Amino acid sequence: MRDNFHERLAEVGDGLIEMSRLVGSAVSKATTALLDADLEAAESVILADEQVNALYRQLDDVAVHLLARQQPVATDLRAIVTGLRMSSDLERVGDYAVHIAKVAKRKYPASVVPVELRAIILEMGQAATRIAVKAGTVIATRDLTLAAQLLSDDDTIDDLHAELFARLLSENFEHGVEAAVDLALLGRYYERLADHAVSVSHAVTYLVTGEHSDPESYAADA
Amino acid sequence: MAKRITAEGVGARYGSLQAIEGVTLTIEPKSVTALIGPSGCGKSTFLRTLNRMHEVIPGATVTGKVLLDNEDLYGEGVDAVAVRRTIGMVFQRPNPFPTMSIFDNVAAGLRLNGVKNKQLVEEAVERSLRGANLWNEVKDRLGKPGAGMSGGQQQRLCIARAIAVEPQVLLMDEPCSALDPISTLAIEDLMSELKDRYTIVIVTHNMQQAARVSDSTGFFTIDGPGQPGRLVEIDATEKIFSNPTEKRTEDYITGRFG
Repeated sequence: MRDNFHERLAEVGDGLIEMSRLVGSAVSKATTALLDADLEAAESVILADEQVNALYRQLDDVAVHLLARQQPVATDLRAIVTGLRMSSDLERVGDYAVHIAKVAKRKYPASVVPVELRAIILEMGQAATRIAVKAGTVIATRDLTLAAQLLSDDDTIDDLHAELFARLLSENFEHGVEAAVDLALLGRYYERLADHAVSVSHAVTYLVTGEHSDPESYAADA
Repeated sequence: MAKRITAEGVGARYGSLQAIEGVTLTIEPKSVTALIGPSGCGKSTFLRTLNRMHEVIPGATVTGKVLLDNEDLYGEGVDAVAVRRTIGMVFQRPNPFPTMSIFDNVAAGLRLNGVKNKQLVEEAVERSLRGANLWNEVKDRLGKPGAGMSGGQQQRLCIARAIAVEPQVLLMDEPCSALDPISTLAIEDLMSELKDRYTIVIVTHNMQQAARVSDSTGFFTIDGPGQPGRLVEIDATEKIFSNPTEKRTEDYITGRFG
């Protein structure tokens, strides 16, 4: 019964999965742009974000219409409410990828990342890509074990973020204030986008269980 | 098969009481149009002007024009009975003919129209019952009285009876208000199937139902007691329920008046 409604509700889920695929690839590409001083990659990340934003607005419209017309309840209601939150989180992940790409573009043809910090930025980029992709899988599968795993990926990024700061503040850092600011911002972008991915996994937990997961204890379970 | 209805300045009176005035709207074929509004706003009266059922009441009169595609339903020489055959109606309370079997209920309209061929009647009955999503539930007891069915089944029987004569348009006046929520959803699902073939107009007190089932929604209201009902606006249902143009519509659907 109510086939039409359930089809449109599935559209919300499909849209979110598509968004997470797009932002996952954006984060990966932005990291490449950064490390290889690849202007083309940077520009394509910036351009592709239009698509993410369009999906975001489209999901908003579908959700509002479903709420206005279908009086969803129980899991259906949570699917729409969390869908709105998740799409906003994913949209932000896309924006951080754009921020990263813009840093790469601004410094082109120079590279923003000094040789000795390449490894740490690469690791942050990989962990951030992983977490964004995993967020998509969590949305698609509603797998709560995987949702909990996201937290440990986030811990990795937080550790790398702290380490990056320590390196920037050490006496050995010799690339000047401007480079330090850029690198601090980059670290911040990765750290923030990972937090948005974590927030997606909390939303999925709420969608499945109807209970709000406590960000901290949830991490301890993982 | 489905046709467009155009109402131009339609008014209706019960004796000296002007029930509705100046209703102008277009109802698109192969779509569901819902009419909503507070009690007494004239939405049911308007519905009944669309198949000349209003004038059945003594002293009731209609002004203005109702066009079915290009044919004026109130034109000179138009047979009101033929109009009602073309534009079928389903009422609030399921009203199967109580003494007739399920089969005869559906066949009644056909026989009235002079269809005598047994095979043709049988085919039409099965097709209509299938069309009303009732066939599987009743195929083994077609000879049993329709009155023995559940309310939701009876209403689907009435829908089967209405579509048996292959109308162009189906008018439904509060078709679910006497039904439980599951039977209501069954009727709503049926509407979305029937709109592939028919033009459907539904009057409903249940705004959520209008939101769920219709493509277009018209909002009627009255300014005060004794005033005629008027159409405030009609628009795509998504628009009406997310961002209506008229403030009075917004006030009504958000429960601020009415």
